[in-house]
Amino acid sequence: MNPIIAAAKLHLNKREFTILVPLYCTALAAVLSALISFLFLRAGSVPGSDAWVDSSRANPAMLWALAGYLGYLGVQSVATTFPFALTLGATRKSFTAGTLLWMLLMSAYLTAVMAVLAFIEVKTDHWFSGFYIFDVNLLGAGDLGRLIPTVFLATLTLLSAGGVFAAAWVRYGSLGPAVLASAIGIVLIIAAIILVPSAAEIFAGFRQWWLAVAAVAVIAMSLVGTWLHLRPAIVR
Amino acid sequence: MSNAIELRDVTRKFGRVSAADSMDFHVPAGSITGLLGRNGAGKTTAMAMISGQDRPSSGSVEVLGGNPFENSEILRNITFVRDNQRYPDGYKLHHVLRIAPDFAPNWSTEVAEELVERLHIPSRVQITKFSRGQVSSVAIVLGLASRAAVTLLDEPYLGLDVTARATFHEMLLRDFAEHPRTVLLSTHLIEESERMLDRVVIVDRGRTVVECDAEEARKLAFTVSGVPDAVDGFSAGYRVLRSQGVGGLKSVTVSGTLDGSAGEKAARHNVRLAPVSLQDLVAAHGEAETTEQSMGAMS
Repeated sequence: MNPIIAAAKLHLNKREFTILVPLYCTALAAVLSALISFLFLRAGSVPGSDAWVDSSRANPAMLWALAGYLGYLGVQSVATTFPFALTLGATRKSFTAGTLLWMLLMSAYLTAVMAVLAFIEVKTDHWFSGFYIFDVNLLGAGDLGRLIPTVFLATLTLLSAGGVFAAAWVRYGSLGPAVLASAIGIVLIIAAIILVPSAAEIFAGFRQWWLAVAAVAVIAMSLVGTWLHLRPAIVR
Repeated sequence: MSNAIELRDVTRKFGRVSAADSMDFHVPAGSITGLLGRNGAGKTTAMAMISGQDRPSSGSVEVLGGNPFENSEILRNITFVRDNQRYPDGYKLHHVLRIAPDFAPNWSTEVAEELVERLHIPSRVQITKFSRGQVSSVAIVLGLASRAAVTLLDEPYLGLDVTARATFHEMLLRDFAEHPRTVLLSTHLIEESERMLDRVVIVDRGRTVVECDAEEARKLAFTVSGVPDAVDGFSAGYRVLRSQGVGGLKSVTVSGTLDGSAGEKAARHNVRLAPVSLQDLVAAHGEAETTEQSMGAMS
């Protein structure tokens, strides 16, 4: 088998972790969102009113439900899978490429799940009850043209960021992620110091595609960082 | 016979510590070689470099004719499971059995199934919750069922009960006979495994101190026992590897051949000579430097 495909299969080998648990998280967030909507309904809010739609679309449940788990998936994809991949005979190069392939597959999978659920939600007039779970601002407010790149890039960002921190741990032990986090913090603070005088202008001119560019930059830096850490890494 | 593994002047440093220090040895293709020595002697470090999981600070490692580091053609023909192997989160036995064939072109499902059954490896428990012996059993399944051209077994006996150890010996020898390969095995249970070994490599403090056929190794040293003055008189001129005293008697292990001239000299000094076992030889080399230092201090 092609070594890159084999490395991607190594990640997909834990089917429940990779395929089912994200669905469990999504389902749990959906149930909680529905219960909260029902609470507001019982409190006198009117489904379909402007206030109901505005407040329902501000629901960030999907972010809280999935972000932590996706970050963890990214970390474990390197921290505990890399040593086992070397044991099985993978090269560092094929492992890194296979991990990227798995991250792309995971991002496409979650994007497809979210897109299908959002599509059903819109077509059923929000589950025949006015409940907004996937038709929220965070996921493009019912616009699949915005939902698809948003979920894909957000998933890939979380997985790859988790991966680079784990790679720093594999390479340098507990010092690695601490130094990496400190370096990122310092860079962000310096950037804020430079940009804060122009903050008002930046916010005024803000475009959503800036987030996409930022996500692509984070993904690229994370993947390069993962490779640079793993290339000389040894397992002891 | 060509060599499947060759280490030439290999040094591996971790900071100021040398885990391997100009280590030199070779393993002929198709042999079962024991890599023996004390804890910290450099056995696992050597195996890690042979399997491309690590690389030397200097010197060269060649496996199946090439450098194994980042060489996928060579690595697919090597199996090496560490004694402290880490598995991905949540892994159970079936995860290992499902993914291993994708990396091992010669994987034998029959061997894996037989080992799982005979070693009583649990299927419903996460590997992180396994006992020490059960973890070793998973490593044995990976090591033997992969039928890799170069099979590295790092302390495969750790925690195994006597029945499981016998199963391992039987399965290794049976499958080795049907599918010859090169096996490098590190162990501290030398008496149990020495009958399997064609060759031995003894390492101490990162250096190769003995490298020869297993039969020949037992002729490299012998023990001398008697009253201390007589033993000291006999051992003058020999390299003393190990020295022990019990009551008024002394026993030393010396480097050398137990031949006719040694017998004549023993008769003159009134000491008894005896051949060493492989285990005694390894233990003696593990103490050699300490013994030499203490004797140097006394003289």
